[in-house]
Amino acid sequence: MTPHKPDPVIHVIDDEAPFRRSLIFLLESVGWTACEHESAESFLAAPPSLHAGGGCLVLDIRMPRISGLELQRRLAAIDSPWPIIFMTGHGDVDLAVQAMKDGAVDFLQKPFKDQAFLDTIERAVELSRTRQQASRRRGEARALLTCLSPREMEVARLLALGLSNKEIGRDLAISDNTVHVHRQHVMEKTGTGSAAELARLILRADPAGLDG
Amino acid sequence: MRRRTRTRMDVCSFFIARLCALLLACLPIVAGATELRIGVLAWFGDQTAATQWQTLGAALQAHLPHTTVLMSYHDMNGLEKSFAAGQLDFIITNPGHYVVLEARHRATRIATQKIEPGRDSEHVVGSAVIVPNERTDLRTLDDLRGKRIAATVPDGFSGWMTVWAELKRRDIDPERKEVTPLFAGLPMSRVIETLDRGEADAGILRVCLLEHLVRQGRLPAGRYRVLSPQEPDAPCLRSTPAYPGWAFAAAAQTPDALARATLVALLSLDGRDSVLRWGVPADYHPVHEMLRELQVAPYEFLREHSLGAHILQYWPIGAGLLAFLMLWLLYTLRVDALVQRRTRELSAALAAREELEENMQTQCQKMEHMSRLSVLGQLSGTLAHELNQPLATIGNYARSLTRRLWSGNLSEEAIGQAAHEIAEQAERAAGILDGIRDFARKRPSRREDCDAPKLVGEVVALFRGMLVHAPEIRIEDKLRNEKHSIHVDRLQIQQVVLNLLKNAYDAQVEIDRAGQPIDIVLEPEDDRMRITVRDHGPGLPDADREHLFEPFFTTKPDGMGLGLSICKSIIEAHAGQLVATQPDDGAGLRLSFTLPFAATARHDAT
Repeated sequence: MTPHKPDPVIHVIDDEAPFRRSLIFLLESVGWTACEHESAESFLAAPPSLHAGGGCLVLDIRMPRISGLELQRRLAAIDSPWPIIFMTGHGDVDLAVQAMKDGAVDFLQKPFKDQAFLDTIERAVELSRTRQQASRRRGEARALLTCLSPREMEVARLLALGLSNKEIGRDLAISDNTVHVHRQHVMEKTGTGSAAELARLILRADPAGLDG
Repeated sequence: MRRRTRTRMDVCSFFIARLCALLLACLPIVAGATELRIGVLAWFGDQTAATQWQTLGAALQAHLPHTTVLMSYHDMNGLEKSFAAGQLDFIITNPGHYVVLEARHRATRIATQKIEPGRDSEHVVGSAVIVPNERTDLRTLDDLRGKRIAATVPDGFSGWMTVWAELKRRDIDPERKEVTPLFAGLPMSRVIETLDRGEADAGILRVCLLEHLVRQGRLPAGRYRVLSPQEPDAPCLRSTPAYPGWAFAAAAQTPDALARATLVALLSLDGRDSVLRWGVPADYHPVHEMLRELQVAPYEFLREHSLGAHILQYWPIGAGLLAFLMLWLLYTLRVDALVQRRTRELSAALAAREELEENMQTQCQKMEHMSRLSVLGQLSGTLAHELNQPLATIGNYARSLTRRLWSGNLSEEAIGQAAHEIAEQAERAAGILDGIRDFARKRPSRREDCDAPKLVGEVVALFRGMLVHAPEIRIEDKLRNEKHSIHVDRLQIQQVVLNLLKNAYDAQVEIDRAGQPIDIVLEPEDDRMRITVRDHGPGLPDADREHLFEPFFTTKPDGMGLGLSICKSIIEAHAGQLVATQPDDGAGLRLSFTLPFAATARHDAT
């Protein structure tokens, strides 16, 4: 349970100072590194990047000026990877549903049990790490795929879709030999040994990479 | 007694001797005088008088060759007027009139007429009361009580006044109608005519007239007899005392020399005619006495002191006045009784009204209390949250400490920080509860002086304490330094401000502008303080604004519609008015009211 990876960071954003500080105190009690922000603006002023260790955001849903939901929207707009946990003192079911639809990890109603809170934090940090990993592997996949020429990329996509050399040659109006040569290059450059492996790589780089 | 008489006689002879000596010495000076104006009292008009008195005029003219003697004849008033105007040097008039002129115009008698030859001039005038001889029931003046008595005129001296005085001395007062005078007028013969006709029981003649008429044969002897004759042996019978005769008097401004010359001339006259018979001036005291007794001029002022006479004279007026007073008294008593009855009715009505008002006040307090509870109820959601906040914070710290203890990394610093935060949050929770308890407590209305900015500040704190994300509330204090204090029911006014703030906030939430600031302005207006709460909500249509303060009017789905109507009655109980207006500068609503300043406005600029 104790985090072993390097320093995941928990950011608590709440305009209620005493409560905010009590959460920081709680998080630090179990060894988390926690940062406090008194408003969405102060967080956005210098948005910290999510590093490999992971981390998450704890947001009060109602805040003056920029609310928690608004912050969530803005972060989504810039593809922020931060997992978000929402807190509210009001039983705002509508707001909770919206927040979950928009990808929130969880929704906590004050007052909450410290264990529930810490468990949610744990989950969110895990998620952030998974996301970090996926992101890293997507980067690697993309890097491999960018080495392919456009013709090789076309061949690779068709291979990944499970087509035979003949079918590929007919589709692309090239000879079987040419298809074979391209296939050799693709396998070498991407370091894959099979069409199935190639397909996973393409999907990792772009989940929609095999669509029509 | 004898000695005094002698002395008087001495004085008299001395006086005459001296006068003569003086007059003789002065004669040459008088010779230069030109006019001697003599006014004579004339009863029967100028002609008769002139005939009677011309002898005297001629005789004086003969004795005073260097002067022109001018005789003029007047009635009583005319004589007094001319004399007062200084148009006469001398007057000749009857004793009564002389006494009046002496008193009023300082007339000085220099001679008195002698009427009966051989008698001294002091006792020549008087009256005889005559009755028909056959009236045996009338023996003395006392018998005249209740009878009719013929006289000449009311101001005739010997024709009425002397007898009047005599009757009065006998306690028969004509003014009390104890004898009835019949004034027949002049000449005096009319008195006899009245008697002859039987219209009167007795008649008044001047002394000696009866004897004169009998002597002349104009009246049969023995037909009339005189009542209560004073000196039965005298040649003429009198019923009254004798008074001095007519007076010859000088005006105050008449030169002494002229007076002396005239006196000498008068004293030297001689003849059978009575107008020529003059003696030394008589003592007119008896006349004064008589007039004083009668309380007539110049003693009419004595009447004012005679209450009895007044009552008798004015008894009908007095009776009328008394009747009026009685009626007035009755009226007053009646009015008083009515007033008392109405007062009782009125106090009963007042008591009933007071009771009603008391009931209403009780009801009002209940309503007010309900409304406060209702405000609390409406705020309870946020209130619960507001209490949750410190409680959750406290919980977090406590559990964190436990975790640190178990994991063995509990530092003293952490304990200190947590304990401090826990204490602070506990106080915050207690503060919120205190505010609510104060606010929700049932209590009678109570006015006190309180500092307005402080009161508003407390409400703002309470209001902000109830909300998680309370909007900014800006208080603008336009009061002058010395006038901060208002005389109000503190809690009621807090309730009003709290209601207005809540309404303002709700209005702003309604259009998603909860974060907008709410403005409160404190300002003096005439002799009161105006407090205004302004929001930036959607405002109200005019039609709604009209009903804003009616009970059960609300624009809120969950509102009871009591808040503002209670606010309105609270403000009206403070003699103010709660009004809603559209702000000049944009959207929203402005609710404002006025409150009385504290009577003892503080002058220390605190």
